[in-house]
Amino acid sequence: MATYKEAPLATRPKTLDPAEYFNLSPDHRRAEEKRAALRAQLKRQYLQQLNNPHRKELIEDPALTRWTYARTNNNYFRPTAKTSLIGGLFGVLPLFVFYVVFKTDRDKREAKIKAGTYQRPYKLST
Amino acid sequence: MRAAECQRGMMAALRAGLLTRALTKGKTPGISNIILGTRAASGPSKDTLPGPYPRTPEEMAAAAKKYNMTLEDYKPYPEDGMGYGDYPMLPERSQQERDPWYQWDHPDLRRNWGEPMHWDFDMYIRNRVDTSPSPVEWKKMRNQLLGFMGFMLLMFGLGEMFPCYQPVAPKQYPYNNLYLERGGDTGKEPEPVKHYEI
Repeated sequence: MATYKEAPLATRPKTLDPAEYFNLSPDHRRAEEKRAALRAQLKRQYLQQLNNPHRKELIEDPALTRWTYARTNNNYFRPTAKTSLIGGLFGVLPLFVFYVVFKTDRDKREAKIKAGTYQRPYKLST
Repeated sequence: MRAAECQRGMMAALRAGLLTRALTKGKTPGISNIILGTRAASGPSKDTLPGPYPRTPEEMAAAAKKYNMTLEDYKPYPEDGMGYGDYPMLPERSQQERDPWYQWDHPDLRRNWGEPMHWDFDMYIRNRVDTSPSPVEWKKMRNQLLGFMGFMLLMFGLGEMFPCYQPVAPKQYPYNNLYLERGGDTGKEPEPVKHYEI
């Protein structure tokens, strides 16, 4: 175990983490046990539903529901300085910038056409 | 996803039902009730859905329990108005980094049922962003790429501004500037064209 080197494109697995072998504090162990208990309970719930022969419907995942709800319902968005700045920078400023840039470019081209000095860049016909 | 869609459809139907009830029967619910609507009881209850940022320790404990996490692991996003609420801040690791040999409940997503999903879960699936360690450090790769691109752009730009090539002159054609080939009169004698000077 001491000579284990990680595979080039993979993270070190948790079971080979040296901290897990040398960290013997009771707090760490209790935390790990709590996490393992939660995982085991979730696994048990899932497998009970999965292997239930009378089940006809999909197994609903509440974590997925919560994630979808959190991502789609932006209930907790508040206009603050930071959010207003981001909104202005990405939502309002590009409109004005694009208007200015495109307008000046087109006006210059129009002036050149009127003066007769415009060269069509990708002209294929003679 | 399906549950959310069913819920919204039911909400719309319920709102329509409330409106007709208000119009037909005597006792009308308040206008705010009709507009906001009431949710159907078939969907998830409000205490299992994400809520506002937890401020008291009791709220933190309740939120950790709701998301199936231990209290030590549960850390909400900082409250700066970006709209996260009490959703937990999980480590930014892609699904590609997880153990490929463990028997996950959903093997393609490398996720177990009921496990709290990262806020950017749809970004971290195995087809998309990957945070696995790279063979060379990220900084070295970035510096090499940007250095090369920057150098090439600079040199091409300088070449456009200060072109340098061999001296050229207009092309010289023989036979009196190709008089006959250009449709000149065969009877007439063309004027001699000299391209040299002695």
